[in-house]
Amino acid sequence: MLVKEMMRKPVLVIAVGATIGEADQLLHSRGFRHLPVVDEGRLVGILTDRDIRFSTSSLCPTPCSAGDPVSLAMSSPPLTADPLDPVEDAARIMRENKIGCLPVLDGGELVGILTGMDLLDALITLTGVTKPSSRLEVVLPDQPGELARLTTFLATRRVNIHSILTYPTPDTTVRTVLRVDSNQIRPLSEELRGAAFTVLWPLPKSSQLHLTSKPWQP
Amino acid sequence: MATLIHRPEYAGYDFGPEHPFTPARLAMLLDLIRSLGHAAPTLAAPAATREDILSVHDETFVAMVEALDRGESRPEAGRFGLGTQDNPIFPGMDLAGRWLAGGALHGARLLMEGSETRVLQLGGGLHHAQKDRAAGFCLYNDLAVAIRAFLDHGWRVAYLDIDLHHGDGVQNLFYDQDRVLTLSLHETGHYLYPGTGHIHELGTGAARGLSLNIPLEPFTESESYLEAFEAVVPRALEQFSPHVLVVQAGADAHFADPLGDLALTTQAFETLFRRILDLAGEHTQGRVLFTLGGGYEAQVVARVWTILYLTLMDLPVPQELPEAWLARWQHLLGPEVGHTLHDPVPAYPEFPGREERTRRNRDVVDRLLDSLLRYWF
Repeated sequence: MLVKEMMRKPVLVIAVGATIGEADQLLHSRGFRHLPVVDEGRLVGILTDRDIRFSTSSLCPTPCSAGDPVSLAMSSPPLTADPLDPVEDAARIMRENKIGCLPVLDGGELVGILTGMDLLDALITLTGVTKPSSRLEVVLPDQPGELARLTTFLATRRVNIHSILTYPTPDTTVRTVLRVDSNQIRPLSEELRGAAFTVLWPLPKSSQLHLTSKPWQP
Repeated sequence: MATLIHRPEYAGYDFGPEHPFTPARLAMLLDLIRSLGHAAPTLAAPAATREDILSVHDETFVAMVEALDRGESRPEAGRFGLGTQDNPIFPGMDLAGRWLAGGALHGARLLMEGSETRVLQLGGGLHHAQKDRAAGFCLYNDLAVAIRAFLDHGWRVAYLDIDLHHGDGVQNLFYDQDRVLTLSLHETGHYLYPGTGHIHELGTGAARGLSLNIPLEPFTESESYLEAFEAVVPRALEQFSPHVLVVQAGADAHFADPLGDLALTTQAFETLFRRILDLAGEHTQGRVLFTLGGGYEAQVVARVWTILYLTLMDLPVPQELPEAWLARWQHLLGPEVGHTLHDPVPAYPEFPGREERTRRNRDVVDRLLDSLLRYWF
C-alpha cells in the first residue's frame, strides 16, 4: 500500500501572504486541520488549526493577530513524503516526529496530503471486512514454510483468503490473522487444530456444550 | 393459527452431501410436526419470477446464476460468490432459489391482502445473499424480496433476525431505506461469519438509526440474550411503528450448534417466539412473516422449529418426542439422543465466565442505545 493510494487530492492550500484570519476561516469552512502554505506554487510550510490557536493565544509569548501573515504561525520547512513511499514509512515519520500530516511532493510539485485520518483509513482497509467473511487467528512458528503450510491447508479445502495480516510476537512466533470466505469457520478451526496448528480464534468450543449426533451424512 | 408455506421442491435447494445447509433439516421438521399428530397442511406457493428476483438483485448476478445453472463454465463465478465452499454450484439452483423466494413473497401477499396475519415459510431465510453476490449458503434473498413487496405496497417493515449470524444481506439491501427497520441479534462478528453487525452500523441518510445490531459475546446464554432482546427490540418497534414484522428464525443460536457459540436452549427459543408474537400483537396488528434460516445440528433444528410451529398455531408443546420419529431419523440423530422436545433442565453443566459475558453484553446494549438516542428522540 503506497502513499499515493491513501493520500487526499487535490490539496487545499493557502498563499504565504494570506492572513491568519483567512486561514482560520478556510480551515473551519472545510472542516480541515492542516493547511499547506505555498509561495508561488512551491510548498514552504504547514499551518495547523493548533498553530493558529497557539499563535493567537494570550499564552503565546509573542501573540499574533488575525491580520498577521500565516508565515508567522506556520511550521517551516515541513516534512514531506513521496507518492511512491510505502504507507508504513509515512506512518513512521509521522509517529516519530509526532506530527499529524505529511504533504506529498512529486518532483517538487505538491500532489497530495496524507493525514493521521488517512492512516486510520489505511488500517481499516488492511484489517476491515469488505466482503462477508470469517476471521481466523493462528500462531505460526517463525520459520520458512509455515505460512505456506497454512495457506495450502486452506486451499485444499477451497477456502478463499480475503486478507492476511501477520505480526511478530515477543516469543519466536508470528501471529497470523486471516479473513476467509467461509461460513464454516468453527469446523475449519477444529480441522486446523487436528492438523497441529495453534488456533487462537475461534476459541475452542466448551466441551460442556456438546451433543453427540452424527454428521449429516454418515 | 398460521399459514404454512412449503412445497416438496424446497428440497431441491441442496448443496450436496457434505454441506451443512441440507434439506434433510426440513424433512425431519415436517416429519416431526406430523408425527406429533398435526396434519399441518401446507400451501404451495409459485416460484418467484426473474423480475421478482431483480427487485433486489443485480441483473449481472442473476444472469451469472442462470449461466452456471445451464452448465456453462464461467471463471468469474467466484466474484459473485458462486462455486465456493459455502455456495457450490448445483444444477437447478436458479429455480431452487426462486421457489424459496416465491414462498416468502407469497406469504407477504397473504399478509397484504389481509387474509392471514401469521405466515411461516418452512424454508428460506437466506439473509446473507447480497445485491450482487451469493454468500454464506444463500443464493437469492427471499426475505428481501418479501420486504420489497411490502414496501411497494406502501408498508413500513420491521425485520428481526435471530439467526446466529448477522443478517448482513438484508441490512445492506435496505441500509438507506427509511421504511425498513432491520434488527439483528447475533454472535459478535469479531471472528464469526460474516464479520459485520457492529453496533456502529446504524444505517445511512434518512435511514440513519434504522439499522440495529446487537452483537453478543461467544457463549452468551439464554438469560443474557433475552435481556439484550428486551432492552432493544420493544423500544425499536415502538419508535418505528411498522405495518408488518418479518422474522428470520434461524436455529443456530442453540448451544449445540456446530457452526457457532451462542448458547440458547429450546426454552429460550420458545420464550423468544412467544415474545415476538406479543410484539407483533402490540405493533403490527399481529402481522408477522416467519422464515427458517441457519441451524445445523440434527438433534436440534427440527425441535426448535417444531416449537416455532406449535407456538404460531397456539398449540401446546408436548413433552416427549415420538419414538417412531426418533427411529426414522436415527441415522442422522446418532445413538445418544434425547427423548424430549425441549432440552433437559439444566441443558448443560454450568461453565465459567457467565458474569463477564453478561456484563459485556450489557455494555454493548448500552452503547447501542446511547448512539440511537439522537436518532430516536
